[in-house]
Amino acid sequence: MTHPGFAIGGARTMLAALALATAGAASAQAPAKAEKPQYGGALSIGLVYYTVSPLSFDAADWPWKHNQDTGLTYEQLFAADLSKSVRNGGKFPFISDAFLPPDGKRGELAEKWELLQNPWRLEVQLRKGVMFPAKPGVMAAREMVAEDVVYSYDRLNKSPKKISGYFDHIEKVEAKDKYSVVFTYKTYNAEYDYRFGWGYYSAIMPKEVVAAGASDWKNANGTGPFMISNYVQGNALTFSKNADYWDSETIGGQAYKLPFVDAITYRVVKDEATMMTALRTAKVDVLEAVRWSAAAELKKNAPKLQWNRSLANGGLFVAMRVDTKPFDDLRVRRALNMAVNKTEIIKSYWGGNAEMLGFPMHPAWVGYYEPLDTMPESVKELFTYNPTKAKQLLAEAGYANGFTFKTQTTSASTDNDLLSMVAAYLAKVGVKMEIQVMEYPAFMSAMGTKTNAPGYYMFTGATNPTTSLRKNFIKGQYWNPSQYTEPEFGKKMAEVYAEPDERVRQIKAKLMTREILEQAPYIWLPTPYVFSAWWPWVKNYGGELRAGSERPGPIHARIWVDQEMKKKMGF
Amino acid sequence: MSAVLPLDDAAHDPGFWVRLWRGKPLGVAGAAVLALFLVCGVLADVISPYGFNEIAPADRLQAPGVAHWFGTDNLGRDVLSRCLYGAQLSVIIGCSAALLATLISALVGIASGYFGGKVDLAVQRVVDAWMSFPDLVVLIVVVSVLGPGMPQIIGTLGLLLGIGGSRIVRSAVVSVREHMYVHAAQSIGAAAPRILWRHVLPNVLAPIIVLLTTRVGTVILAESSLSFLGLGVPPPTPTWGAMLSGSGRTYMFEGPWLALAPGLCLTAVVYATNVFGDALRDLLDPRMRGGR
Amino acid sequence: MRGYVIRRVLALLPTLLLASMIVFVTVRLIPGDVIDLMLSQNDVAADKRSREQLIAVLGLDVPMWQQYGRWVSAIVLHGDLGKSLWQGTPVAEQLLARLPVTFELGAIALVVGLLIALPIGIYSAVRQDTGGDYAARSFSILLLAVPSFWLGTMVVVFPSIWWGWSPPIEFTPFAESPGRNLQQMLLPGVVLGAALSAITMRLTRTMMLEVLRQDYIRTAWAKGLSERLVILRHALRNAMIPVVTLIGLQAPLLIGGAVIIEQIFVIPGMGLLLLEAVQQRDYPIITGVFLMVGVAVMLINLGVDLTYGLLDPKVRMR
Repeated sequence: MTHPGFAIGGARTMLAALALATAGAASAQAPAKAEKPQYGGALSIGLVYYTVSPLSFDAADWPWKHNQDTGLTYEQLFAADLSKSVRNGGKFPFISDAFLPPDGKRGELAEKWELLQNPWRLEVQLRKGVMFPAKPGVMAAREMVAEDVVYSYDRLNKSPKKISGYFDHIEKVEAKDKYSVVFTYKTYNAEYDYRFGWGYYSAIMPKEVVAAGASDWKNANGTGPFMISNYVQGNALTFSKNADYWDSETIGGQAYKLPFVDAITYRVVKDEATMMTALRTAKVDVLEAVRWSAAAELKKNAPKLQWNRSLANGGLFVAMRVDTKPFDDLRVRRALNMAVNKTEIIKSYWGGNAEMLGFPMHPAWVGYYEPLDTMPESVKELFTYNPTKAKQLLAEAGYANGFTFKTQTTSASTDNDLLSMVAAYLAKVGVKMEIQVMEYPAFMSAMGTKTNAPGYYMFTGATNPTTSLRKNFIKGQYWNPSQYTEPEFGKKMAEVYAEPDERVRQIKAKLMTREILEQAPYIWLPTPYVFSAWWPWVKNYGGELRAGSERPGPIHARIWVDQEMKKKMGF
Repeated sequence: MSAVLPLDDAAHDPGFWVRLWRGKPLGVAGAAVLALFLVCGVLADVISPYGFNEIAPADRLQAPGVAHWFGTDNLGRDVLSRCLYGAQLSVIIGCSAALLATLISALVGIASGYFGGKVDLAVQRVVDAWMSFPDLVVLIVVVSVLGPGMPQIIGTLGLLLGIGGSRIVRSAVVSVREHMYVHAAQSIGAAAPRILWRHVLPNVLAPIIVLLTTRVGTVILAESSLSFLGLGVPPPTPTWGAMLSGSGRTYMFEGPWLALAPGLCLTAVVYATNVFGDALRDLLDPRMRGGR
Repeated sequence: MRGYVIRRVLALLPTLLLASMIVFVTVRLIPGDVIDLMLSQNDVAADKRSREQLIAVLGLDVPMWQQYGRWVSAIVLHGDLGKSLWQGTPVAEQLLARLPVTFELGAIALVVGLLIALPIGIYSAVRQDTGGDYAARSFSILLLAVPSFWLGTMVVVFPSIWWGWSPPIEFTPFAESPGRNLQQMLLPGVVLGAALSAITMRLTRTMMLEVLRQDYIRTAWAKGLSERLVILRHALRNAMIPVVTLIGLQAPLLIGGAVIIEQIFVIPGMGLLLLEAVQQRDYPIITGVFLMVGVAVMLINLGVDLTYGLLDPKVRMR
């Protein structure tokens, strides 16, 4: 197949690199000798966004945080296959906010599934015997059936708060019989199982809960391993064990019924210093997000903590509006990239805890990511500090005396100091950056109404390969502050979405990434590491963060607590 | 009932300054700190060894030493210089907002207290409504509407504290109004502005002055609270509040001087305004019931 | 007396109406409205139809005066303060959950503030201008001068380093378990109270000075112990005035919540509710909080004014 717009040469190199990458998979560690898990105890967890309270318990409100808040209660068709995590000897870290590798996916409520053509459809066989527990005042215990899946999808699709176009690729969803569901698609869409399957908006909610009032946490009832037992807004969300949960976990060759602990509490703490203190005194057993500066200090005065480090899911950058002068000139954009000393930023601002990232791809997207040092010179140049060349380019473009431009940032950002650093670097090549700080909603609004300043400083979440490319650089998208609307690029995007062969998609995505990096609509900045920490009595856990789209539930459900050890350590 | 000494007499009374020096050593100490703070603030551009935004990543987080008396912060900026510029900002913000607040307090309080009747009733209802809302809460909403920035913060703080303080001025005016010579002046037929200027104002100047002094401290504290909530003057402007609540808290173990320096400055100045204000109050109008 | 009370209560209504109108309008004028914020949660841009649909669902499609009218009539007729735009749960429910928490924190702070301020104020007045006076007053003012967020941070962080202890972050309602509740609430109450104490101290001191200045009091004081007791009792009764004044002044704090302390000590109070609502542009909650705070504070102030009349015969209501 020929793919117009992609240089054949580039594709060949890509294929070669792809082969290499899959051959030398992430180093497999031998799994630690498995201990026999214990039942009982409780877990106190600080989630990745521990400063944000639960938004809504009703999936039909389309809240992005639904899976975090209710992921222990409501299950989905697919979830991460945690037996393939790095901790267990596999190659997946499971830290991406909205990405599941196809060979790292398992059926949660789905037992078997098949994607067929003519017409494009997904046929799903559901697990049998999965029960909704009895909930007094809401429903009696009953089995989860295909009707529930169809109901959940319909409810989401008909909601007035639905994201427009999200399910446009779906023709219809029907229950063929008691345990099988068929999704018929109008066309192939690469995100078919992401959008409904393991995505942000894929929870299977029974109609009885809706009838009783889905916004009320007291009515929440799902097939998951835990049930919501208490909610103090602004403080904590507590879950208690579902004794009749269907799933089990194999440890050391033996199957154990899940879940292990009796209760899980998700803590909401708005203040970082307080949360670090809570971790230090074991008021939280697991903290999913620790900033590198706090991590360094915690390692000193709480040395028994276990750590995992991952690259933050996203890119930090200063977007430049390519529809204004002087940023319509590619030379200017490239010059500004070369004028910033990114290596020094990593060393001094991030204390070495950052990496230069080939945004919008992310290394956790195995198969899609290409490291910067294998990229062509035209890309690598942008990440090498070269103020001389920067000044040269600026002069060529007609800005020998520099220029001034305004950059907007938000007071909610924790890295405005870094922006000052960038401004200092730019000043050295004669470019003056004026910083305007805005409150968060006003800041978002500026981007949404496309009235943002020529410079726009933000951190954008990575999500997954297709979404990441689309939302940043395609015309009409919300998260496109640089107003990059190259029609050719848009066409390539459409091709990627319509491409059923994943290997081809990966190649195309890589080529698109190279192109956009070269075009430099952003001043690409290093992405920091984030750390997760947990106490040693937290077992069967290695710092994995998501088993779906912002969905940590299945990971937490598999944790067991060594209560003896905890007592011995004095907590 | 001891007579209230009209202020225009107090200022000309050499005994006043002697009494301050001899009788109120705490007040004098406060005044000295304030004077130092004012001098530093005004001369910051001249006396500070570095700029306030000279980023030097290689020198980050250096402990206080010869090159940097107060050490450096996480971006290598000199903390002493930032504190001095912080003093300048505190002078600007503190004094402007305090002046604005006192002006508003004076105008509202005097108008309400002197004219009484319907004017008083209406004004007091508005003041009541205004004071029902917690300060910080109003600040949060207003800063959200107007966006973060120095003029907005000065204006908002000035308005907020001004309306609150008007009560104190009003009660002083009310008590003066009952005084004989005001009645006398009115019976002679003197016009209201003249009465206000010659008789009412000098006698309520005392609480106004005390208000002005303590307000400076209150404003500086309020700005630091706003910084903590992310609504203060935006970076890289080095207000003490921003330094204390930002990198001061983040690096409190690696670099305690990041918090100690601005923290001590802030505390010292607020302390000074309070003790100096107290001393003034003791000397000028001991009968004044101090409030907000 | 009754007439006065009724008149005052009636006078509250126009004030309340005015205040509610101002808040209602101001909040909706804040740039970056809730629709943009909601739509920005998603990765996919919303088309015009979705936007309009969302606006309609949230009840924001009618003109502002109509929205205001709906809101007022809902309150007057059904006691319904509306629903949160984000959570869909009733505003009244959230307010009633948070109010007792804030109240408790405020009450502890008041008591602590008084426990610190009264002795210092009285001592300072009795021993005016001595070293003891300066030391006592300096201590009190220092508590005021250190920003509350810094004091709170130190109280939370340093014990965890030195003794491995930190205050609990799990909130237990007082009714459920007073012991566990106080374990969390006592410390922030103390921190808050410490900051309040300076103001009360000043008031008490002024009161005491006035009491002591009177000649016959001075003579009696010099005479000895039994007279001193009489004076102290007399002084204490007068000291109630600053106490009551303090309650009036701090009423907004008691009801509106101390945002900073709540944030640092993880207390689910009104302050944090409002802060979050402002950050999320959840209009019904913002207006609901302002209304509740406004009503409560005005009632408290009324109570304060009435108590003045009882305590100090010199003050008579007009």
